[in-house]
Amino acid sequence: MNLLELFTDLLGNTESSLRLFLPELILCGTILVLLALRIFSGLDKIPSWIVALAGSGLALYYAAPWVLLEGTVKSQEIFTGMLLYDGVTVFFRGLLLFFAILFILLTRVTELVQSEDDADIATLVLGATLGMCLMASANHLLMIFMAVEMASVPSYVMAGMLKSRRRSSEAALKYSVYGAGTAGVMLYGISLIAGVVGSCHLPTIAASLADPSLASQLPTMPLVLGGLMLAVGLAFKLSAVPFHFWCPDVFEGAPAEVGGFLSVASKAAAMALLVRVAVGFAAPAGGGVDVASSEPIVAPVVATAAFASQVEGAVTLTAADTAAEPDGLLGSVRYFIVVLIALVSAITCTFGNLAAYGQTNIKRLLAYSTIAHAGYMMMPVAAAIHILGEAAAGYSAAAGDAVASVLLYTAIYLFMNLGAFAIVAILRNNVGSEEIRDYAGLVQTSPGLVICFALILFSLIGLPPLAGFVGKYAIFYALVEGNLISLLIVGGLNTAVSLFFYLRVIKVMTIDPPPEDRGPVSLSLISLPGIYVTLITAPVLLLIIQWDGLVRMAQAACRALVQ
Amino acid sequence: MLSLLSEPVGLSHYLIVGAVMFVSGAVCMATKRNALGVLMGIELVLNGANVNFVAFGSDFLARNPNYGIGLDGHVIALFVIVLAAAEAAVALAIVLNFYNNHATIDVDKADELKG
Repeated sequence: MNLLELFTDLLGNTESSLRLFLPELILCGTILVLLALRIFSGLDKIPSWIVALAGSGLALYYAAPWVLLEGTVKSQEIFTGMLLYDGVTVFFRGLLLFFAILFILLTRVTELVQSEDDADIATLVLGATLGMCLMASANHLLMIFMAVEMASVPSYVMAGMLKSRRRSSEAALKYSVYGAGTAGVMLYGISLIAGVVGSCHLPTIAASLADPSLASQLPTMPLVLGGLMLAVGLAFKLSAVPFHFWCPDVFEGAPAEVGGFLSVASKAAAMALLVRVAVGFAAPAGGGVDVASSEPIVAPVVATAAFASQVEGAVTLTAADTAAEPDGLLGSVRYFIVVLIALVSAITCTFGNLAAYGQTNIKRLLAYSTIAHAGYMMMPVAAAIHILGEAAAGYSAAAGDAVASVLLYTAIYLFMNLGAFAIVAILRNNVGSEEIRDYAGLVQTSPGLVICFALILFSLIGLPPLAGFVGKYAIFYALVEGNLISLLIVGGLNTAVSLFFYLRVIKVMTIDPPPEDRGPVSLSLISLPGIYVTLITAPVLLLIIQWDGLVRMAQAACRALVQ
Repeated sequence: MLSLLSEPVGLSHYLIVGAVMFVSGAVCMATKRNALGVLMGIELVLNGANVNFVAFGSDFLARNPNYGIGLDGHVIALFVIVLAAAEAAVALAIVLNFYNNHATIDVDKADELKG
């Protein structure tokens, strides 16, 4: 290839890639405009939130998630394979940009920041959203690390948004130290995987792992170690046990709005990245479908660290034993991913729900609820990889549908948790407290808000006919399809357990008498915060009427994920 | 182990340097009470990974030239240097803000949030 060919090839590739990259480019442009507006006198009178809103709205228009309603999106690699543009990208990009719009509106409704800090939070939100969009489309180990960092670094600053609060600064310190540490571990794991397999490009890695002639050459120990270290970084973003320590502390210390951002957007992007990594390693394009693993995997339920280490040891052994299989290391890699995700999700889910019991602070309770929901959302990914490992070619559609249930749940979760955190922020402004006991008797003075909160909490439990039920149903159905019955039992038991601590909040708000020392708190649904909460709660209540569209979008997004 | 001392410098030697840096960094993160010490540990971990990337990317060290990561390794190392600088800048600002509120940068004193 001579220089001219190289040059024209690069130009053509970049041009076609930039077109599909337009939403991210618009976000970049908006960030630059936001920063530049403050330099020029006169222009700094333009409110930053309007610029940010316009930018993310335009980006959402070009991201166009509604094309998924009309059919599948052709999967293609952009920027010479650094990013992947497919249905999952389109879905998550739409979701994240939509959330950015709602979040910017929320910071206005609850008056989170004074006017001079207005541009700061808008810039940080858009920067984090940009990183999260890249997380959803990463197709290269470098992009995985870069995207995680781009999403994390603005989040650290957002956690410390209220500069003069002791707790806020402590939350930011804890978040940044834990985050940077796990990112370092993840990078080391990435270096091991890249070096051992000899590529950073996920499809190439999958092909190498599936190549029988290479299987005996690849040293398994560094590969397993690299995989575990990569999982550390992902687990931090997902706030999965045992890397969940930061989550309750950061949520309690940071403003409730920022808690909502971390709980929804950060989690959605981390789920997208988990799907990318798991499917990226386990599903090489066009082949390697029938793997000779005949034993159905019984996902371990025992939640002890000792057991975890035993399982890891077992996986290492299996990897060594099966090196001579016709599919290379693929079977062992799938087994490894399924066991790891299943174990972590079961522990995360159980721990989150049990730890939520003793909480007296509503933000801490919601943090543990977030951890538990991360556990639920990880389960179908294990199911999808299990389906791939177990079955022949025809089953790849079932694996796609299992991943689709994650997408569906993420979309529903957006409304539930944003609503919950918005109500917490509004109550903070009016009650002046975030302790659950201070919410006592709120139903007498502001019934509308309490009804909305109750609906959201019921939906988080997963009670029909609310939206959370649709999501939980999809997830449990995927687990049945994936034949992971023990995970299904864990999920079911956890749902029952979670009933009590959500109901306790509702009980305090409705049955307990209001405390003497609290002034009258009357929040009508007709006020600006009331209207915002109503609009966020409405989809939670009404999705059951017409959930077909969302399901079709999620399934269309995942159809091309596994070939 | 002895063969490492007698054979010419190759990939393994670089990987050992990287591993030592990683472990030192991890120990530093876990044991330092001063927030700046923790940040230094993070830098060590990132640079340990960077040594790996550069070594894996080098054509002179690769076991099998067909399965080297080549230029990717060097490019990743450059990106990581930039990201580490950005991350350190943000982390230092956060530590400074913590100092303003608590008059200490001892991470053990960050214990108001718990439960």
